[in-house]
Amino acid sequence: MTTITALGLVLMVLMILVGGRQGWSAFLSLLLNFGFLYFAMVLIAFHVPPLFVTVVTGITILAITIFMGEDDLRTTVTAFYASLIVMALLVVFIILVEHWAMVQGFGTEDSDDLEGMSILIGISYLKVAVTVTVLSTLGAIAEAAMAISSGLTEVLENHPDISNPRLIKSGMAIGRQIIGTTFNTLFFGAFGGFLALFIWFAGLHYSLGTIMNNKIFVAEMLEILISFIGVLITVPMTAWVMTRRRNHLADGHDQHE
Amino acid sequence: MSKLTNAAWLRNKRWLLVGLFLLGLVCVAFTMNNQRFYRRPIARVVKVTAVGHPRRTSDQFKNVDHQYDQRIVAVMENGAHRGQRVLLSNTYSDSRPMDQRYRVGNQVFLSQVRRHGRQLSANITGYKRDTVLVTLAWLVVFLLLVTMGKAGAWALTSVLVNALLFVLAVELDLRNNGEHIMGIFSILTIIFAFVSLLLVLGPSKKMLATFSATVIGTFAALGVSLLVFSWTHQRGIYYESMQYVTQVPRPLFLAETLLGSLGAVMDESSDIIATLFELKQLEPAVSPRRLFMSGRNVGKSIMGPLINVLFLIFMADTFTSSLLYIKNGNSWGYTFAMNMSLGTVQSLVSGIGIVLAVPLVSAFGALLLGRRS
Repeated sequence: MTTITALGLVLMVLMILVGGRQGWSAFLSLLLNFGFLYFAMVLIAFHVPPLFVTVVTGITILAITIFMGEDDLRTTVTAFYASLIVMALLVVFIILVEHWAMVQGFGTEDSDDLEGMSILIGISYLKVAVTVTVLSTLGAIAEAAMAISSGLTEVLENHPDISNPRLIKSGMAIGRQIIGTTFNTLFFGAFGGFLALFIWFAGLHYSLGTIMNNKIFVAEMLEILISFIGVLITVPMTAWVMTRRRNHLADGHDQHE
Repeated sequence: MSKLTNAAWLRNKRWLLVGLFLLGLVCVAFTMNNQRFYRRPIARVVKVTAVGHPRRTSDQFKNVDHQYDQRIVAVMENGAHRGQRVLLSNTYSDSRPMDQRYRVGNQVFLSQVRRHGRQLSANITGYKRDTVLVTLAWLVVFLLLVTMGKAGAWALTSVLVNALLFVLAVELDLRNNGEHIMGIFSILTIIFAFVSLLLVLGPSKKMLATFSATVIGTFAALGVSLLVFSWTHQRGIYYESMQYVTQVPRPLFLAETLLGSLGAVMDESSDIIATLFELKQLEPAVSPRRLFMSGRNVGKSIMGPLINVLFLIFMADTFTSSLLYIKNGNSWGYTFAMNMSLGTVQSLVSGIGIVLAVPLVSAFGALLLGRRS
């Protein structure tokens, strides 16, 4: 048995032990997300336009992460709509930023790994860079949208007559509670992967000016900064979607509102 | 903090925000005009002409691409030749893996600036990107402070302090030639957790409880994973596929994994502990068992989304090189092994940490709060 299979089994058993049925569906969502991510890569390799693949895979991953993580429909549908809007905004923003920063493909630090490879593959790495950045932010957006949306569902259940401006205020208050730890999650998630590169930079005495203009460093930093922006706009967006959706509920038996 | 104090905070700090906005503009303007602070020559592209016809390239894997030549006139922005015109030539392709298509207005770094008669010429070594980076960083800071107020300021402080600690730890690691990397980064993990939680939660019993739970959860995950590693003899983990390695890969990878999962475990622990404190406040006589079950309930609904957050961050980074492997005639399995296996292991180890933290944190909170006094 390979280590990956063993670790996967350990994770599955733990998730079922801790989370029961919900744990199992969360594990399944992880597997499905992996499948779709890999599939997206294969599609791009077959010259399907990367932007199209990005949007379709993005929507699928958001749906899987949100709907398989929670059962309450008011929470999930609101979170899903909000994260779709945020994703649409981010795709436009990311396309602009990637064209400006030109951080697609590989840097000179990758030269060793690329030896013997044919890198002119006829697929725009700039478009692939957009795909990568969009996909890497989706988890954070889905998580933030879920947190705000489930918090607001709770608020609505306890105070069904709360006004819309108050509801948005509550959403922002929940956002303030999660923002510190969410930023830390993203920061450590990204800096964990950064460690080897940082040791490289420091070991070879790169100057600040060199680092600030380095293709790989800038690419990674943009990824973190854009996921921060994604989370920041998800908070008010989810609260706003909740004010729109508070009265028409997806399931009939909740009509007592 | 309540909504009211936050509104007041924003009102009181309006001038601070205006100042911040202006400071941001100044910073961005500075990066657009900071050429004199660079030792490397920089030039601004003023004219681009296409030269000759596109060349079709193809390889043994039937990848077809096109290459184009550009003749570029640029004006030197720093150094002894400042203000003079310089002739550059450039080649770019459709896919642009390591080459760039330059346009008028781009700023580029040069090397080997030389004089042919009256004309300067040079080679392009890279594109100037500091303006993009500073602009986006400023946008984040501004959005953060405007929408999140004081909480945003603390979040920002904690990220900045952590970045500083991170740089210090890298320095320390280099001083030791990477010998004690696990030791250094284990201690750093503990300091990180302490500082971040102190800044986000403030000095309180709640913070201490979250901190202990985070540290135990993170290291328990590493312990379990190391056990699995030794049972399976690390079959299927290709440390040689790790990128940018300048030190022994295995401890480096473990340190990366430890750091990567820390944030998520901290996130989850603070959510659970916050709920338990809330419950205790509403019902002071609550039993440890009830607290444990509530903690588990909160935990099991956040663990899935959190694991997905890290999974997508880790895996998206392997996307570009995987694509290259596929297009170079490698099988799907080999592409996975060489590019994605380490990212997958990292996701799984972090996932185990996130799941293990749920019962640990719940039990910890229950013992701490559930005592009858």
